[in-house]
Parts: sequence; structure tokens; C-alpha cells
Amino acid sequence: MLSRSAERLYWLARYLERTENTARLINATMNLIYDLPYGIEVGWHNLLDICGVEELFYQRFKNPSEQNVIRFLLAEPTNSSSLLSSLSFARENIRTSRELMPDEAWEQVNEMYLYATTNLESLSNRRGRAIFLQEIMRGCQRFTGFMAGAMSRNDSYRFICLGRNIERADMTTRIMDFGTVLLAENRSQTMREYESMLWINVLKSLSALLMYRKQVRQRIKGQDVLDFLLKNADFSGAVNHCLQEIEGCITKLPNSTALISQLETLEQNLLSVNIAENTPLQLRQILDKLQTDFNALHQHIAQTWFLNHFSA
Amino acid sequence: MTTHSIWEKYQADKAFDEMLSAQSEPRPICETLSEYLEKLGVDALKNRRAAADAAILEMGITFTVYNDTGNIDRAWPFDIIPRLIEFQEWKRIEAGLKQRLKALNCFINDVYNEQAIIKEGLVPAELINSSANFRKECVGIKPKFGTWANICGSDLVRGGDGVVYVLEDNLRVPSGVSYMIENRVITKRIFPELLQDLNVMPVDAYPLQLFEMLCSLSSNENPQIAVLTPGIYNSAYFEHAFLAQQMGVELVEGSDLIVQDDDCVYMRTIKGLEKVDVIYRRIDDLFLDPEVFHKDSMLGVKGLMRAWKAGNVALANAPGAGVADDKVVYAYVPQMIHYYLNEEPILPNVPTYLCSDDEQRAYVLAHLSELVVKPANESGGYGMLIGTQATKKELAQFSKLIKENPRNYIAQPTLALSTCPTLCNDHLEPRHIDLRPFILQGENSFVTAGGLTRVALRKGSLVVNSSQGGGSKDTWIINMEQ
Repeated sequence: MLSRSAERLYWLARYLERTENTARLINATMNLIYDLPYGIEVGWHNLLDICGVEELFYQRFKNPSEQNVIRFLLAEPTNSSSLLSSLSFARENIRTSRELMPDEAWEQVNEMYLYATTNLESLSNRRGRAIFLQEIMRGCQRFTGFMAGAMSRNDSYRFICLGRNIERADMTTRIMDFGTVLLAENRSQTMREYESMLWINVLKSLSALLMYRKQVRQRIKGQDVLDFLLKNADFSGAVNHCLQEIEGCITKLPNSTALISQLETLEQNLLSVNIAENTPLQLRQILDKLQTDFNALHQHIAQTWFLNHFSA
Repeated sequence: MTTHSIWEKYQADKAFDEMLSAQSEPRPICETLSEYLEKLGVDALKNRRAAADAAILEMGITFTVYNDTGNIDRAWPFDIIPRLIEFQEWKRIEAGLKQRLKALNCFINDVYNEQAIIKEGLVPAELINSSANFRKECVGIKPKFGTWANICGSDLVRGGDGVVYVLEDNLRVPSGVSYMIENRVITKRIFPELLQDLNVMPVDAYPLQLFEMLCSLSSNENPQIAVLTPGIYNSAYFEHAFLAQQMGVELVEGSDLIVQDDDCVYMRTIKGLEKVDVIYRRIDDLFLDPEVFHKDSMLGVKGLMRAWKAGNVALANAPGAGVADDKVVYAYVPQMIHYYLNEEPILPNVPTYLCSDDEQRAYVLAHLSELVVKPANESGGYGMLIGTQATKKELAQFSKLIKENPRNYIAQPTLALSTCPTLCNDHLEPRHIDLRPFILQGENSFVTAGGLTRVALRKGSLVVNSSQGGGSKDTWIINMEQ
């Protein structure tokens, strides 16, 4: 397959995954915040941190209010990782890859985009927003389901799978990063009272609650949650699982020897982390390092297969 | 609830109407459709139009237009009322189109080789020497089967006399075939019952025929085929992607391709370089190869002409094929058919005055306000004058242009293009239409069943180009005998 096409499919999958992740994260946070007491130290501003857009946000807004944060994360055109930006990048990538996939794949994404652009008004109220986010999450899942059911497991499929899992692993580490805030020694008494609710929310924002409960049959504890999200081999959102998926794709793609060994090192490092033995600060550093490693992995993928890095 | 008859305000002017006879009776092939529309009523028709518009948005059928603010993808303008043509009449048109393309290909091959038609004195040498689309780089080349124009889109119009004329032959990179196919997909959704009752010829054979024609251009048994597009900002990008997808071949841009020292063309894939055997190029000649043509072209591939001349890659259409896509050359097509095929032309040309001829130019200048003047080498309806609708200033401007560069202009009588009922607000009105069938020629010839009917959506307008407010209709070839 063309290097150009590989790159477009990879980004299509990353942007769609980002769209779905953003929708789920906001949806879960909305539900959490309605239950929290006033004055607790977690709130809308944490979303900006998780998405890595704090600086950009404060260039536009002063106050991280519900309305401002929601608008910024969902529909702000200057925020290139807003839900709407991600969705329109995804649409542009699939629009220019139509020769590789059945028509329905394009139509799924296109319909979702049309839905989003015609329903922006509804974002200003909570009820409309909830419906909007549900519809986006469903749209992304329809696409994933359609791919699972209708695509050959060919190179096109592998680049989609690759993009999806790198983006997913990245998001999981971001949310884990937020989790370390909940472990801070100096956290308030109120936080301690609401602790298990907050951890449940961390799991929900990755659709991981039920799978966690099936795996860890104990009272929900922060360290167990982080360990599960990092090292579980079976849950689709766990970093370890994502890396295995990535390895599965890479192994079947050409010229991948160097990438495979890079990935194996990454997996070994990941499995050697002992959550309980680290302070929250050390955990943050470990997670930061992981994100740097993902970025290096992305660079290596681009060098191996994409057009702009082509040397022939 | 609207109760008036949909035909209530339908008033065909002096032009030939495709649906109704001069006595305002439905023509035999249109009876079923006419009754059906009447029975359906205005409200239901409007619902179906809304359904068609929604389908076009969801399927993402677009074309790109350029303006000051950049380029935007516009939804494809589509009128739901189909245009019908009777099967026997179509058979004759089909034969005429194949005949025409055969003669045109003989002509192009002759021009770049023996130039027999010029030596015989049937076509003036001056015509070729002054042609903007003659490529000296192509002299002496003989593509497989002697075919240079493998894909042709000819524009047909029906005059007030009911006769179908060829208005022009597009031999460079004609577009529209994807819309012809998508129009039928939409019609199947909104008028499924009608398509079942009437015996309508299917149109979706084209991509397969195109694929086979492209395969036939290679000596390789399983050739690697690619569609070469200028990229996502081209107005026809949708079509390039559509055809690549339908044929299951690669859609490439210039930067995906490279010509190596062995004069072969390769594409950059995740495995490394892979050889390409046939390229359906949708880039104009002059942008194809910066080594030979425009030096600063970012769209093309350096060395592509070298590879083509060496016979290592087939290009469709061949570079230089546009020499016959010239409105002056057009005037000689009937002679070409006589000369190369020894046959009578099946389809007539529209009478054409050549401004390069002193006598004919004098006539044109004296009758400018009755004529349509066209530049020899433009497409998309640009740069032309419709004398009957022009201002005095425009007439004077064209008079000057013609005197300055007579070779570049031809003139034709203003044709009363035939009309077809079109859904305007809440009733049907006649709108002028043309027809662009697509003809393939490689080892064999093929013509689409019908083609893309283009409609001038503005009342009284004769300009059907989508870039200038035109729309399109589904075209039904109806076989009454079965």
C-alpha cells in the first residue's frame, strides 16, 4: 500500500479515537461533578490538564468555568485537539482514503461530522450536551464495529489498529496522570471522603469500571486502579494491552525489525513498574517518560512507513 | 397540502422538450413517468427531493469550487426528475460516438506520425502548427492499438429540430462519470418503484470497463494501475477517488511516484518502491512532467515522459491527445470519418464557422449577436460569448479578440438546447439540458448507457457547467420492446 495512504489511515484512527476519548472523558466528568460538593479541589480545570491544553485555554479564557471548558474542549476551532477539530481531521483523512475502504466507512464518519456541525447549539445546556456526547460515542463505536465486521485484516486495517492503540495508550496514561493527583499526600479531607467515587470516575472515563470489577474483586483502591490501567493484558484500554495490539500489527507489516525491538523494551519497562513502591511524584515521572516513549514510537513508525520520511 | 397539478405551469418554449411533444402530450417513452409524477403530486415530490438532498450530503457527493476565500466542497446539485432516451435512438448515438472516437484516434496518431491527412490537403498544416495542444515531444510515438484518447467525454445537444448534434469532444481529462453513477444510486433510493416498472439500462458497468481498458494498454498480464490526481484541492478530486475505489486501484499524487534510472515508474509504498504499469492521469499535459513541460509543476512526476516514450508505462489519455480537443479541429471531424474510416458520419456536428478563414470570419463579425463564440481551447464553459444575451460592450470586446487572434475562435449558431421538466420550488418547469456520454477505446470500444445529463438550473440559461450554476439529472435509456 502507498505510504501516503498508510499515513492517512493511521491519522484517521488517531483522530477518531481522540474524538471518542474526549466525548467519554467529558461525559464521565459531567456525571462526576454533579455529585461532588462545592469547593473540592477537582473540577473542570482538571480536564484541561488531562488534555494538555491548559496554556492554550488561558490564552483565550480567564475562568475555567463549565461553559468555557466545555466549549473549548468540544467546539473551539483554535483548539486543534477539540472534539470538533479531531472529528473534522478524521473526516478529511477518510475523505482522502476512500479508495481503501467500503463506502459505509466514509459515510459513518461523514454522518457523524454532519451531526456534530448541525448540533453545536445544543452544547450550551447539560441535557443537550449529554445527548450530543452519546451520539458521538455511538458514532465512533459504529465505525469500529463496521471495521471489525467488514474489513479484511490487511495492511490498511493494521494502520488503523496501530493509530487507534497509540492514541488510546496515550489517553490512558493522561488519565492515570490525573489519578496521581488523587493520591497526593496533602489532599483535603473532603477529597478523602469522596475518594472511591473519584476512582470510579477514573475507570468510567475509560469505560473500564465493569472490566476492573471482574478482574479485581476488592474494594476500589487507587493503586490497584493504576496497576490495572497500566499492566492488565486483557482490558482494551490498558496500556499493556494497547502495546500488545501495536506489536501484533507491526509484526505483520514490512521492514519492522527495529520497531519490534523498540516496542519490546517499552513493554519490559512497563511491566517492571511497581505502582505501590512509588510516590505520586515518582509515578508522574514514570508516566511522563511513557508519553515520551510513545512519541518516539510514533516518530519511528513515521520514519519506517510514511511518505514525508521516505528516502529512496 | 398542495393540490395543483405539477404540470399546471409547464410551458415548453420553442425548444424541443424531451418529455412532452409539441401538443403537450407525453412522448411514448415518457408516458409512465409522466403519469407517475402526476399521481405522486407535489408534496410527495418535494419529500423525495429532500431525501435526495440528504443522501447527497451523507454520501458526501461533492465537487470543489474555488473562490476568493479558498476552496469549498459543494454538495452536488441534482434534479430528481430523470431524463429519458429511447433505446433504439440510443443505439444509433452509441454507434456514432464509437465511430467518432475511432476517427479522432486515427487523426491523432496520424498527426504525430505520417501526417497523411495534411499531405492529402484535407486539413491545413497551419491548424496543427498553431495548435496550443500539439506536443512536439510526442512526435513519432505509437501507443498500443494506436489509441491516444482512451477516455473521451463528448457533449451532445438536441436542437429545436429534434436532431442530436455533437457539440464538442473532450479528450484531455473529461470529468463527470462518477456523478452519472452516483445519480443512479440516488434515484434507486428515491424512485425504486419506477426503475422496476420501466426497463432502464444500468449504468454501473463503467468502472469495470475502464479497468479492463486500462489493463489492455499494458503488455503485463496483471498490470499495476494507478489513478494520478492533482490532489484534494482539484475540483474533480471526488471523482478521482471514486474511480480508484470502484476499480480497486491506487489513487496517487505526483509525490507518490518516482521515475528511476531504468526509466520505469515506481510508487512509494510501505514495502518500498513498486513498479507502476498503467497510469490513468487526471492532470493536464503541461503539468505531467517538469522535466519536459512546466518546470515548476509540483503536480507531476519528473521523468514521466521518458518512461512513457520508452514504453515502460502507459498513460491514459496519452500526452498530446488534446491536439484533437480543439474547437477548430472539431470542425474537421466529419472529414476525418470519411478519410480514415471510409464511412458516413452517424452523428452530425453543429455547423461551425472558423474565424481563421477570412470569409467565415467576416460572416461571424457581421452576425455576432446571433452566434455563440467559443475559444478553441477552453473547457468548463469559460471565455465564451453568447451573442443573443451579450451586452454591446461584450460584443465589441469579442469582435476585437477575434480580429486579434482569429485562429483561437470559432462561432456556432445559438442552439435552442432541448428542455426537460425540472422540479423548481413546487412545480415542474422546462430547463435546458445537454448530455455527456463517456466513450472508452483501448483494445475495444465502450460507451456508457446514457451519460451525465447536465441541466442549466437558471430559467432560460444555456450554461450547464456545474462550476457555473448547472446541475445534473439521472439519464434513463428505456427499452420499450421488452
